[in-house]
Amino acid sequence: MKKGILYLNQFFGQIGGEDKADYAPAIKEGVVGAGMLLNNLLEDAEITHTLICGDNFMGSNEEEAVEKLIGFLEDKEFDIFFAGPAFQAGRYGNACGLICKAVKEKFGVPVITSMHEENPGVDMFKKDVYIFKGGDSAAKMRKDMPKMAKFGNKLLKNEEIKGAEAEGYYPRGIRLEVFLEDKTPACDRAVDMLLKKINEEPFTSEMPIPELDRVPIAPAIELSDAKIALVTSGGIVPVDNPDKIQSSSATRWGRYSIVGLERLGNKAEGAYKTIHAGYDPAAADADPNIVLPLDALRAYEKEGKIGSIHDYYYATVGTGTAEGEAKRMALEVIDYLRNDGVDAVILTSC
Amino acid sequence: MKLEIGNFQVQHVEFGETSSYSKGTLVINKKEALAVVMEDEHITEADIILTKPGDDVRIVPVKEAIEPRFRLNGGPTFPGITGKIERVGNGKTVALKGCSVLAVGKHWGSFGDGLIDMSGEGAKYTIFSKLNNICLVADTDEEFERHEQQKKNHAIRWAAHRLAQYLGSIVKDMNAESTELFELGPITKRDKKVKDLPSVVFVMQPQSQIEELGFNDLIYGWDTNRMLPTFMHPNEILDGAIIGASYMCCSSKWSTYDFQNCPTIKSLYKEHGKTINFLGIVMSNLNVSLEQKERAAMFVQQIASNLGADGAIIAEEGYGNSDADFIECFKLLEEAGIKTVGMTNECTGSDGTSQPLAALDVSADAIVSCGNVSTLIELPAMGTVIGELESLMRDGLSGGWEDDDVLGPSVREDGSIIMANDSMFCGDSVLGQSVKTVKEF
Amino acid sequence: MVKEIEKAGITVVQMANLIPVAKTVGANRMVPTISIPYPLGDPQTPKEEQWKLRYHRVGVALDALATEIEDQTVFEV
Repeated sequence: MKKGILYLNQFFGQIGGEDKADYAPAIKEGVVGAGMLLNNLLEDAEITHTLICGDNFMGSNEEEAVEKLIGFLEDKEFDIFFAGPAFQAGRYGNACGLICKAVKEKFGVPVITSMHEENPGVDMFKKDVYIFKGGDSAAKMRKDMPKMAKFGNKLLKNEEIKGAEAEGYYPRGIRLEVFLEDKTPACDRAVDMLLKKINEEPFTSEMPIPELDRVPIAPAIELSDAKIALVTSGGIVPVDNPDKIQSSSATRWGRYSIVGLERLGNKAEGAYKTIHAGYDPAAADADPNIVLPLDALRAYEKEGKIGSIHDYYYATVGTGTAEGEAKRMALEVIDYLRNDGVDAVILTSC
Repeated sequence: MKLEIGNFQVQHVEFGETSSYSKGTLVINKKEALAVVMEDEHITEADIILTKPGDDVRIVPVKEAIEPRFRLNGGPTFPGITGKIERVGNGKTVALKGCSVLAVGKHWGSFGDGLIDMSGEGAKYTIFSKLNNICLVADTDEEFERHEQQKKNHAIRWAAHRLAQYLGSIVKDMNAESTELFELGPITKRDKKVKDLPSVVFVMQPQSQIEELGFNDLIYGWDTNRMLPTFMHPNEILDGAIIGASYMCCSSKWSTYDFQNCPTIKSLYKEHGKTINFLGIVMSNLNVSLEQKERAAMFVQQIASNLGADGAIIAEEGYGNSDADFIECFKLLEEAGIKTVGMTNECTGSDGTSQPLAALDVSADAIVSCGNVSTLIELPAMGTVIGELESLMRDGLSGGWEDDDVLGPSVREDGSIIMANDSMFCGDSVLGQSVKTVKEF
Repeated sequence: MVKEIEKAGITVVQMANLIPVAKTVGANRMVPTISIPYPLGDPQTPKEEQWKLRYHRVGVALDALATEIEDQTVFEV
């Protein structure tokens, strides 16, 4: 018999209404309120405990609340975690997302919740948590809880997951290939989609355009006393590739001293070369400065246009690199840049 | 233009005294076949090994696949490659179906080579596991590229095309078992009924990013890097005008076989006269610099709109920076009022969280996705390897690696392998066969 | 990588050929280069010409770092 734990807010946890929204985190044995419905729907599994916390308590003391709740779970054995459904309640949705994410990170068990699409918790947590498409009010409990239970059963039994749309949860930004059951070849799918598009009939693209992630613009700097660092994803490394950076799908990066160097020597001189497999290496091997323009930057340093060049340059390879890996490598490089007081970066890519 | 392909369905291939075909059995005189291969002195050793669906066989490194064909006017099957240039796509051609010639390295692989498993879990990743494969396994004296990651593989590929032509010639005087007819007349001379249907072009973007000659897809023997988009008749693609490249990450690759059997062209032909007026092919390419990409997209837009296209299907042979060419064309076609659908594969990482295409635009709202090149595939050892298994990890194939901190080497001591879909031979079948898609999980 | 560096508050300019890709990835300051295999120096041209191009474009990149912007900006070379 597998074990599950459910998180509820003060209302569904039968503590009270809005007046009890400051209810401090608590744990109860067994099921409470809607937990009964969930418990009945689980197959070969039971809800052993219920976590309850007031929406305001969670909203105003996120860190403390999560810490307490996680603390309650530390000595408990459980295989799966549920929260909500939160319907359209914003604070509740936020709470469900937060606790689910924390439980997943700490205990590594599957976490499931449910919210209406307009609940702000959806966008905030859909990448980290299975959030099922839910209704807009508590009246939809009899529809929403069963969806969570059904999926929970699937996960506990290790059954095949058919994808976000088929299962009913919000896309998490994870795209994987599947073999189509009906084996319709791409040519037929394309012609069918084209005819629909031409005839102004509805169609569904197999690759929805994802929202683009933008970052706040960093401020302009004062060049004359700035320390500038060179970073490249063009794979320029010392000829022996001392850090064994991969030519494709890189997970490693290097930090190389350019103290006293006016320009990068080339491959034939036994100095630097490129290891990036995504482009013709001939030009870069003959003159690495065309990818990592140290010579040009030195000229500006001499002229006094910039304060100085950082003692090191940073390199990795940008072809086939998984976004997650690129992010991790960037964070590691940034640590060095910060500690060394770098003011700005010129990043070259191929 | 009217192309009649006379088909002979090969069920079984064997070696014998006389190269011949009868009722599904193809017999090959090995000596004669190898003589055709050895015409090029750069081939230092060669063998032909046969394998069929269901065999406990793994083939790697596979460099090219070609369907055996012969053109009944006696002209070369691949003008500019196996003979002089002349127009194709009009007339009669015979084809041996159910089989393909594979160009396989005896030892040495390269970035764009791929793998085929003829049975077991790995078979589903490529359509070539369903064919009787006539493997030309060869070594060459091309020392200059022996240890390069990118190879032109010229000698082996040309030999395989010659071999495919030789095999096709076996049935040249026989009556075909079945016939496929591809007929499409001049655009302005079509029936009113046809002209009133929505006009559609198929925009093809074959790989052409290497600036040095000898690596890219070739059209009538001309390097696709050295061209601006142009207009071609679909029969030309079906009849040997284009051959595959030697450097493309293999699951994205369009082999000669894929061109010869282009499913999207066949699907458009099926709809022609019924739901669409299939105008023809806008043959573009994939370029390196931004300006080249923009220029090619401009030409695609101009040709398509001046032909009066109402709709377009666009397919790209690649991913990564090629996505910029794909999206640029998509954007410009839509800007010209041409309803467009794109066919491509994605690179979302082994965990699926990376952005699917390197470039994106809101206008690209209709896409058929054929697979994820990053999918990790782990397969058991196979009884026999045609080629050399180590090439997968040693020679820089795009989907194989020598050592990975987490996954270890691509080829383990016991012969089992772990690789990325990236090197499954023509695995994503973007020209139309793909029965895969990519979904949100 | 460019996004992470900028998120950390370090002003960064991306020099790349594929501006559409750089835009999609989220770079805010961008300077175009001339190609993928040889971003800042065409090997088919004399060394002096390559140097001029490189010096010029790196200069544009530095100026980009010193320019306040409102939106993703591709700096003219």
